[in-house]
Amino acid sequence: MEPFIALDQLQKAFGARVAVDRVSMSIPAGEIFGFLGANGAGKTTTIRMLCGLAKPSGGCATIGGRDVWKERSRVRSQFGYVAQKFSLYPDLTVSENLSFFGRACGVPPGVFAKRSESLLKKMDLQDRRRSMTGSLSGGLKQLLALACAMIHQPPLLFLDEPTSGLDPVHRQRIWNLLYDLSHEGATIFVTTHYMDEAERCTEVGFLHEGRLLAKESPAHLKQSFKGKLLEMEVEPVMKALVNLRGWPGVLDASLRSGRVRLYAAAPEKLEAGWRQNWPWPELKWVGSRWADPDMEDVFKAYSEGYEEILNRSLS
Amino acid sequence: MNWTASARAIAGVAFKEFLHIYRDKRIVALVLLLPPLFTLLFGYAFQGTRLTGAPSLLMDRDKSAESAKFIALLKGKDAFAWRESSAPAAPDLVRAGVEEVLIIPAGWGKSLEDGDPAAIRLILDGSDTDTAAELEGDTREALGDFQSEARDDLINNLPDEVVEMGKKLPVETRHQFASMMEPWKVESDILYNPKLSFIEYVIPGIIGLILQLLTVTLMACTITREREAGTLYQLLVTSLGRTEIVLGKVLPYLLLSMFLIAATVAVAALHFGVHFRQPLLLGLVCLLFLLCSLGLGLLISSFSNTQTQAIQFAVFFLLPVFPLSGAFAPIQRLPMGVRAISYFFPLTHFCHAFRLINLNHAGFDFILGDLAFLLAGGVLTCAGAAFLLSRVQD
Repeated sequence: MEPFIALDQLQKAFGARVAVDRVSMSIPAGEIFGFLGANGAGKTTTIRMLCGLAKPSGGCATIGGRDVWKERSRVRSQFGYVAQKFSLYPDLTVSENLSFFGRACGVPPGVFAKRSESLLKKMDLQDRRRSMTGSLSGGLKQLLALACAMIHQPPLLFLDEPTSGLDPVHRQRIWNLLYDLSHEGATIFVTTHYMDEAERCTEVGFLHEGRLLAKESPAHLKQSFKGKLLEMEVEPVMKALVNLRGWPGVLDASLRSGRVRLYAAAPEKLEAGWRQNWPWPELKWVGSRWADPDMEDVFKAYSEGYEEILNRSLS
Repeated sequence: MNWTASARAIAGVAFKEFLHIYRDKRIVALVLLLPPLFTLLFGYAFQGTRLTGAPSLLMDRDKSAESAKFIALLKGKDAFAWRESSAPAAPDLVRAGVEEVLIIPAGWGKSLEDGDPAAIRLILDGSDTDTAAELEGDTREALGDFQSEARDDLINNLPDEVVEMGKKLPVETRHQFASMMEPWKVESDILYNPKLSFIEYVIPGIIGLILQLLTVTLMACTITREREAGTLYQLLVTSLGRTEIVLGKVLPYLLLSMFLIAATVAVAALHFGVHFRQPLLLGLVCLLFLLCSLGLGLLISSFSNTQTQAIQFAVFFLLPVFPLSGAFAPIQRLPMGVRAISYFFPLTHFCHAFRLINLNHAGFDFILGDLAFLLAGGVLTCAGAAFLLSRVQD
């Protein structure tokens, strides 16, 4: 199948700093692609290049077979873009913003009325159409931004952290909308910091310091762990976390539902050692179990570079 | 290119810009109040340029019939408001609170009769270059009047034997004498602005300056505001062309400024009685001037990263315009090198063309050069702004 979005050695440098380092990947149509990476990893820069807002320093990328920079004026009708920073006009009302972007995206007047009505309904904004956009809550603002990006019914949506700072109810709503869109055949390119959201994507890509470390389905990515993770129940748990973190052979430890989850190259050896000799008499070891890694573990391992516990599929 | 779609897109941007202006009540108030207010202020400031009632000190140490006559003449001039003093020494100008001190030396009247006229002493304040020169001129004029009166008296009261002696002179010499005794005249026809009313001269400067101030500063904020808010990215990923964005942004401001010009002109005409001739040509000059100013604001806007920067750039551009554009004084008074710079300001061409049309009744052909400059300026700045629009802040 012909990829809808294709990146080939795409690169962006700001002076000596390389923000996006020779990223190559392809995304088929209809996919929800989750783009993960720490702050400053280069996700936004990649999206800006794909949107034709920044000129690639090297390599190229295409959307629907068209170069995103050289043919940017023609590629524009193919996608909608919701930026990380809220960027609608706060001094315009909800319907004024919609109709401005409708005109700006060349939606014919006859089609516009019906489409904006259905979008307002979908976003639950019918009663707020005369409200100033600046007075909307964060969640409604984001829904309106989504509506404005979708007003020309593009086959592709770029969403840069669309749910950051939103309450769980609005996050859920936005994801439901994305599912609907994907179901209708749209391709969705979304960045997020929420790992539960990453789990919902068809595929996720890990960007670390400008380099793409992995691009897999969430299930595959979780399998890239060499084994299971040791989860220990120790009391008091905060003190245990600090002590376990500093133990030789432990890469890091994190707190999960009251248990300490360990990242270590050889957790079996560590556990066996502790069974023979528990080094912290003040801590009570209640029990331990083996857990399957989730997306958060994958994200952590990739972004911290825990080579010892990963089977890299891509490098 | 699809023209209807393009027109719709431009109208969309223009309407959005109009809403931005309309919703910002402070800007609306500023834009509606400032131009008429400034026209009134500037109008009064430049209405009467002749000096009147300058506080002056008179020290008559002669106390003769002649000095009394001269003083009467001086008091007839409304440039001065005289105070007399009999102090022995001339006081300091600033401490005495006067602009001029005039001292008639003792024995002045007698010196005139003795054929060795003594000089009247003037003390003037050179820190104010205009006033000093004007007061000196007025004083000289009064003295001139005094002298011609004295001469007329002398001729009228010549003893008969002198007249008889004169009759014996050759005819040519007599005629030459007669001619010399008569003040030689100039008959001047002052065209275009016969009353030499300064407000008629300065009105294009006032209109242009107010309009330029408002258009450049307002326009300078439009793109930078979007750049700061992040909406510029959103705008750039739509199917809007850069030209459509620029035209859509300029259009509402152009209409608004035309309205402001009408308001300014109304105040000038109704309140100060300024005449406006050839309205169509004037309108064309105004339109092109506005286009040029708006383009300039837009250009500043497109290369500034923040609104603060944009305003700073605007001020740096607007400041030299005041003395160099010929708004308040002819640029012919500027030295050549500086004058060359002044031709780069749109206001220079606006004032030049406006005066030619309005005061000199000149036609289209006289202002072609100015119109061409303004048009080129408008097109180039707008094109430059469109080009710089997509400059992404790295």
